[in-house]
Amino acid sequence: MKIGIPRGLLYDQFYPFFTRFFTELGAELVISPQTNKSILDMGAQYCVDEACLPVKVFHGHVCYLKDKCDLLFIPRIMQLYKDEYICPKFCGLPEMVINSIPGLPEVISHPFSATSMARLRQWAMSSASRITSNRRRVSAALDAAANEQSHFKTGYDDQGYPIKVALAGHPYNIYDTFINMNIKKKLNQLGVGVITEECVDEDDMEPEVQSLFKKPFWTFARKTYGFIAALAANQQVQGIVYISSFACGIDSVIIELVGDRTGEFPMLVLKIDEHTGEAGVDTRIEAFADMLERSVKLESNHSPHGQCVYRCKSPV
Amino acid sequence: MLYLGIDVGSVSTNLVLLDHRLNVVEKHYIRTRGNPIKAVQESFRLLEGRYGDEDVAACGTTGSGRQIASVLVGADVVKNEITAHAVAALELDRDVKTIIEIGGQDSKIILLRNGVVSDFAMNTVCAAGTGSFLDRQAERLGIPIEEFGDCALKADIPVRIAGRCAVFAESDMIHKQQMGYNQSDIIMGLCEALVRNYLNNVGKGKDIRPKVFFQGGVAANKSMKIAFERALGFEVTVPEHHKMMGSIGAAILARDAVRKNGHTRFKGFSLAEKRFESKGFECEGCSNHCEVAKIHENGMEIGCFGDRCGKWSNRTMVSHSMAGSL
Repeated sequence: MKIGIPRGLLYDQFYPFFTRFFTELGAELVISPQTNKSILDMGAQYCVDEACLPVKVFHGHVCYLKDKCDLLFIPRIMQLYKDEYICPKFCGLPEMVINSIPGLPEVISHPFSATSMARLRQWAMSSASRITSNRRRVSAALDAAANEQSHFKTGYDDQGYPIKVALAGHPYNIYDTFINMNIKKKLNQLGVGVITEECVDEDDMEPEVQSLFKKPFWTFARKTYGFIAALAANQQVQGIVYISSFACGIDSVIIELVGDRTGEFPMLVLKIDEHTGEAGVDTRIEAFADMLERSVKLESNHSPHGQCVYRCKSPV
Repeated sequence: MLYLGIDVGSVSTNLVLLDHRLNVVEKHYIRTRGNPIKAVQESFRLLEGRYGDEDVAACGTTGSGRQIASVLVGADVVKNEITAHAVAALELDRDVKTIIEIGGQDSKIILLRNGVVSDFAMNTVCAAGTGSFLDRQAERLGIPIEEFGDCALKADIPVRIAGRCAVFAESDMIHKQQMGYNQSDIIMGLCEALVRNYLNNVGKGKDIRPKVFFQGGVAANKSMKIAFERALGFEVTVPEHHKMMGSIGAAILARDAVRKNGHTRFKGFSLAEKRFESKGFECEGCSNHCEVAKIHENGMEIGCFGDRCGKWSNRTMVSHSMAGSL
């Protein structure tokens, strides 16, 4: 039995869990390659027009896999934490894909909630039903997968660069180097190191989130807000680079919330879409790096205690 | 002792020569017409013979075609447009607080405080409301772009035009034309729509303080200046060399780079007579299939662009990444 797993959306965050789970069940895995031009082209061709770029890219990964596997795994990720949800597009992802791409193999798309072990067990039993009926084996696979995921570390925390910025945004925009035009490499080449939210202690983020007038509904919003607000408050970074997919509803809220909290703190918002020409992104990050470099120099010349008064928001 | 600055933009390629006091001694505005190599050569042809290669003490490039231009001419500095525009404006007037720059493809706002860029924003992925849109409308109405702004000055009551999107604006304009509104009222309405769009989009949430400089090709349009002044409620200055500000900035930055490095990499004006060829190919090295453009000078490869991994561009990048590290 070959199971196809698309390397899209939250794959980079949860592949240890999903790959281990299906491997333990005895399935053979087919995983789509890193996003490339043909995947993007197929995604844009099949996906509904209004979807954001990462969802289109996910469709492309499915297209790549559809003739190479017997079963296709499309995670319907509903909840990762109690009382919080993931972007609504994730809840309807299987339907979007099934209705847009013809000729798909059978799809595993049971709702995935990681709020408790009992919920996960429910998901595991239904998802495994097409592969094995041995409940003990499914249970063991789930334990192994959960264990694998708990040891998984991801994130960037560059050291030794003269300037450091918080690299924020949804994980798939940060880790898919094709859709973000390898922004980390570009920043590093300009002498700018990055840190991502996985490398910041949740305890530092929590007080910032608590100070909001209500608890954010979306996990992405809570984490990204907490991450940026904590780093900006402690002046641990000189600026923020926010990668956002064009037309993302959640980002439109987070960016405003963050802007209200951090005020004049330098922030560059890069909107990404199907563009593969890099001149636009290059100009914006070069100018941002220039600005940070010059303001750091100015600060060290003039006011050692002065507030950082530089902010930059570029809706690419 | 001259400093050369070249701004290769989407619509125009601008070249300036500055003397040692940073006065503009030569300026040329050439339409890029989608061929940056030709445009740079054409501008060099205008200078060849009148200036010697040894007259040029430093050379800098900026604009969206800055990388390709730097390889052709041997630039001492390759800088983004934001820094270049800011440097040029501050050289002219230390008190500038805001720069409004509208070019062919981009519109930007740059806030300056204490002599450095403190904030900037650029238009989104969409180029509505920039110079190329005005160009297209002028062409559609059969008015030369140079007269477009003056035509609107005769307007009595500007007509309201939808400004959010170029396509909306165009259809709204056509509707208003078909209803028989006066052409100058429509054009002035368009300028006001573009300004409204600029302030709501690029200028959103920005503290626009005087003194404001209005730069870029669109600043030549007098009605745009008036529309900005009406919307902001104070005077907007259009510097004399508003079209050239990017290239002036590049020339100044090049001077600084040469002061640091001690010598220029400028390859000379003979560039005008050289034969450049650009060949595109799809790299088969990985699944990205990047479209790579290879530039040949008299049959010899001088640079590659467009690959993501650097396999091709790094072969020549060594020299200009150093040039860019000012």
